[in-house]
Amino acid sequence: MSSVKFLADSIAVARNELLQFRRNRSAILISLIVLPLFFTVSLGAGQGGAGTSFSPTADIPIAFVDNDNTIASMHLLQMLTSSPDFHNLIQSSNEQASIAELGTKRIYAVIVVPKGFQNDLAAGHQAEITLYTDDSEPGVSDQIMSTLTTYVQNFDPNAEVQPLLSQLQRQSVAGVGIVRKGAVFAGFNIGLTVVLAVVQIFAGFYEIAGGMSREREEGTYARLLVTPVPTVSIVLGKTIFDTLLSIIRTFIVLGISIYGYGAKPNTDFFTLLALSLIVAFVTMGLGFVASALKLGQRAVVIIEFFLILFLFAFSGLIIDNELLVGVSQLIGKALPFTYAFDALRRTVLLGRPLLSLTSDLEYLIGSTVVFYAAAFVLLRISRERLIT
Amino acid sequence: MPEEAITTKALTKSFGRFTAVDGLNVGVGRGELFGLLGPNGAGKTTTVRMLCTLLEPTRGTANVVGFDIRDQAAEVRRHIGVVSDGVSLYRDLTIEENLRLFSTLYDIPRPKAEARIKELLDMFAFREKSKRLVSALSTGWAKKAMICAALLHSPEVLYLDEVTSGLDPQSAIALQDFTKKLCEEGVTVIWTTHYMGEPEKICDRVGIMFAGRLVQVGTPNELKHSVSELSMVEVETPDLSKAQLDKVKTKLHAMNIVCKVKYADSKLQISCERTETLAEDVASALLEVGAKIRTINTKDPTLEEAFIALTGGEEEIDRFLEGAERKA
Repeated sequence: MSSVKFLADSIAVARNELLQFRRNRSAILISLIVLPLFFTVSLGAGQGGAGTSFSPTADIPIAFVDNDNTIASMHLLQMLTSSPDFHNLIQSSNEQASIAELGTKRIYAVIVVPKGFQNDLAAGHQAEITLYTDDSEPGVSDQIMSTLTTYVQNFDPNAEVQPLLSQLQRQSVAGVGIVRKGAVFAGFNIGLTVVLAVVQIFAGFYEIAGGMSREREEGTYARLLVTPVPTVSIVLGKTIFDTLLSIIRTFIVLGISIYGYGAKPNTDFFTLLALSLIVAFVTMGLGFVASALKLGQRAVVIIEFFLILFLFAFSGLIIDNELLVGVSQLIGKALPFTYAFDALRRTVLLGRPLLSLTSDLEYLIGSTVVFYAAAFVLLRISRERLIT
Repeated sequence: MPEEAITTKALTKSFGRFTAVDGLNVGVGRGELFGLLGPNGAGKTTTVRMLCTLLEPTRGTANVVGFDIRDQAAEVRRHIGVVSDGVSLYRDLTIEENLRLFSTLYDIPRPKAEARIKELLDMFAFREKSKRLVSALSTGWAKKAMICAALLHSPEVLYLDEVTSGLDPQSAIALQDFTKKLCEEGVTVIWTTHYMGEPEKICDRVGIMFAGRLVQVGTPNELKHSVSELSMVEVETPDLSKAQLDKVKTKLHAMNIVCKVKYADSKLQISCERTETLAEDVASALLEVGAKIRTINTKDPTLEEAFIALTGGEEEIDRFLEGAERKA
């Protein structure tokens, strides 16, 4: 084939694509208007915009346990509370109780000042404080660690503790170090939580929304509608089929994660399977809602990309929801997938029992019910639109 | 059991401001082969889609084998079969797999379903192709597969919507013959088409649809005769003299038959007001004047001519088709 012919064929194919795209109003709307506009605006708002400052740790609840109760430790607390980055420091006297609160979303980190903190400073040794973090929120933990490190580095013992040192006749002091404590996860534990959810979401959505769209376009949906089968059976039948696929996918992901990448989930198989299926059901419900909107297969693919961006931007996949602000945090809180990631982290990383994750489960199951109910109503209402 | 398999009363379907079917009133008897004839966009497919419960009427009602299409849609679906372009089989399944799937959806018990599938595959000579994917079938075979699926549950009413379009002439004729047999077995068939010749050949009655309205209903003969009071008799009568011809004209006038008579190439063409005994009268007039008769044929107007006359003439049809194209 000559290069001219190849080029001409390529242009013809491109022109054909353009012609088809031109006639697909939903694809135009989503890809050229909604997608760029929505993400630019919402992420822009999420970042706070130019000229505004934003502290990701400012409002995150952190316990401060002072086991030293000295002037030096109080100075440290005062420095942190008066800073713009730790507005939500909660003073506590019970170290173990505070650590037990980690992973519940009531406390995200515990700063412990050990006994002898001031004495170490006075003795010219490096004093150490301990930071316990909620390791199901790696982004939040890293951010707290990073911000705290900055303050501790700026904590000047000479200036802060000088009057005291004079009394003790000590002339020089060393700095303060941080010891971070938390669970050390097997290599792929965090990856497992991400992969399990992402695989179910992407596959489930396309299977349902894309499959329904294909049925509609090929006329098989109309064929089903002229049989005595009710809409609910069509929805249920497709759900059953996709549930089987979701179970198979769960086995594959777990198998590869555990035996291939050394993941060691801190929970049992049935909890993982149940969570994986809950994620799949939410997604299938969303897929049915999308399919009732008479989307073409092209539009389904575009929405799939939309979904990817939603997951990455707002659902805590990359940036923990607690670190988002404004509109982006609201979007994150509204997305059921945020709760799916959260539940997976708490079970896989922290080993929390599934039934203890009440709020996550309520939101996920509630979303599933709402999506399925909406899909059922929409499919009935738009029955005619779907076959004409 | 009602005598009519299908009854519609003021059945209307609008899409926004466009009325696709406008106040359809028709009754179709059990075992009748009823044709809906009209150009593209006349409302035939919309009518079928309402009658098979895919579309809900905007106004009016329809009853199919005793069930209301609005309130008893599921029951209606149990008793109907549909073959239409927008109602397809699964392309990635074989014919057998499709039939098994639909036999389940129609609640046909397994042994009965297997027997019925075998019967249908034999009837349509599908035995060798039954394991083929539907996507691998030619248009004709794919259509036959769709008919198999529509007949699977032995429906009382079968909708065949533009079923011969895309078929070769032999397949189309075979399908027409098959449909007639179905009607003889008691199945009611609604046959929609825009091919004027089809209903004339096979339908018991024909409804002419135009711009969403049912313009006229009747047997093909009734429709043809409703638009023309003239019949033509063509007689092959060699060596007819002018004197003989004049005498024939006089005799016909005496019988009160207004005639236009033309003689050329041994053929005498007489266009007359239609009467029951026209051919006999012409023959006797010719024999009385001593003319020889080799053949004698009568010719009625075609359904196409009737259609054109009933829908307001060719110009009106052209205007409608242009409008329909613009809407499409």
